[in-house]
Amino acid sequence: MSVIEVQHVWKQYRRPHKQVNSLKEAVLAMLRGQTGYEEFWALRDITFTVEAGEAIGVVGPNGSGKSTLLGLLARVLKATLGSITVAGRVCPLLELGTGFHPELTGRENVFLNASLLGLNQRETARKYDAIVEFAELEEVMDSPVKTYSTGMVIRLGFSVAVHLDPDVLLIDEVLGVGDEHFQHKSFGRLLEFKRQGKTIFVVSHNLDAVRQLCERAIWLDRGRIVKDTDSEEVVTKYRGAVEAWERSLADARSRDAPPG
Amino acid sequence: MSELAEVWRYREVMGNLVRRNLKVRYKNSVLGFLWSLLNPLMQIGVWWFLFKIILGNEEPNFMATLICGFIPWFFFSQTVLDSTGCVTQEMALVKKAYFPRTILPLASLLSNLIHLGFAFAVLIALFAIWRVDINVHYWLVIPSTLLITVFAYGLSAMVAAWSVFYADVKFVVGNLLGLWFFLTPVVYSLGGVLDGQVKVTNWLTGLMAHWLPVIKKIYLLDPVAMGIVGYRSALLYGGANPIMKPEDLARQVELQAQYPFAHYVLGAAMISVAVSVIGHLIFRRMSDLFAERG
Repeated sequence: MSVIEVQHVWKQYRRPHKQVNSLKEAVLAMLRGQTGYEEFWALRDITFTVEAGEAIGVVGPNGSGKSTLLGLLARVLKATLGSITVAGRVCPLLELGTGFHPELTGRENVFLNASLLGLNQRETARKYDAIVEFAELEEVMDSPVKTYSTGMVIRLGFSVAVHLDPDVLLIDEVLGVGDEHFQHKSFGRLLEFKRQGKTIFVVSHNLDAVRQLCERAIWLDRGRIVKDTDSEEVVTKYRGAVEAWERSLADARSRDAPPG
Repeated sequence: MSELAEVWRYREVMGNLVRRNLKVRYKNSVLGFLWSLLNPLMQIGVWWFLFKIILGNEEPNFMATLICGFIPWFFFSQTVLDSTGCVTQEMALVKKAYFPRTILPLASLLSNLIHLGFAFAVLIALFAIWRVDINVHYWLVIPSTLLITVFAYGLSAMVAAWSVFYADVKFVVGNLLGLWFFLTPVVYSLGGVLDGQVKVTNWLTGLMAHWLPVIKKIYLLDPVAMGIVGYRSALLYGGANPIMKPEDLARQVELQAQYPFAHYVLGAAMISVAVSVIGHLIFRRMSDLFAERG
């Protein structure tokens, strides 16, 4: 049974030629006839399906559309064309901990965050101790989050997310969160998810982590799928392409350098 | 309907947001939650000082009249003002997770309704101290509040959505509310407006004098003005039509014939609902772009 189904999805961003932030600028831009938008396709004709229990990684250079794809799956963004269906409870791990309110305590934030991700009060209360224990923040849960370090916030965010018992886990560049110890722990947690047959969708620049966690990978470049197959193969080919590109850059530079 | 069902499904998020709004608003202030009462009380004090002490207003029960006007006004203006930030301040949530975006203006509205409830409780306590008799006509407060609430939701939704794209909205709204304050009978009574004449001194006042009958009708169709009138009617005039003070019976009858009250209540209610629907539609259409533009 396919859990994620993406069919002929296109995503266009309309970037105003000049960023308009105020009414005055909008009026001025209109008077000068600068109402044009720069149309920019972040994703072009993306089609793939993900089966239940699959772990799939997305690799590609900056600006290739990886985060846009994740945003679409999380329903935070809306596709310009095409259709996307995601079955079951989706848990997006986009920018961990950003949904926390600095003035509220860790405990209050856990409940707010969990409700956003679809958990009710009672379920959260039941999992609360496990969440705190996993984040190793027992002592500070009643202090406002603004007193936490960045690492603490990220740990708590990750912990809330992985305790939600999601069917689909969407992960954006969070494989390397926290210190060495927590990285190990969180990676172990993801492997456990995999064993439980959950679907995992990872966007990462950490190619080794992708290879380790996912059996399948998608390589995106400028909004198109370059390759969608076995992760070992995709990572090897992608690495090769990056190296070739870097070599050509270096060659160009040495050619341009003045002789002697 | 599916939209309503979805909001219901996410009711816990809304509950949490409301709870957070209430907690955070007065965090770091010594008196904390008391400010939600002190703030309007102090404003009322300022106006009372101006009218009673400086201008020597001799109207009896002036304080009670002021309070009955300020409570609904404060609810309305604070709701609309808060809506300028209700999406922009939650961008972290909007970019992180899916939830029906309508929850944001709704949560802000609900927080302010709770503040209204507290203010009302204090008013009742004051009335008890002043030995004002509390009667069945108080129920009129409920439809009056509803009238303002529905209207405020529509405006809030519009303002919230526009605020994501234009930072100016906040300032425009602040100033418009300052003007609106004087266009509703908060610090004066309705009778004065309906009896009022304009002395023609220049083209502007000439224009106003010419359109005065229409202006008065529009004035009466404002759901906020009507809501305030409803509060006064319920709390001070025993449910009677509050166009004039009850003492001036002859004039009262005359004005009632001229401005059939039921028509204006109905009109204001229709405007409320229309603004609410339009505001909601604008919000919904723009909310698809919140995460990428904010």
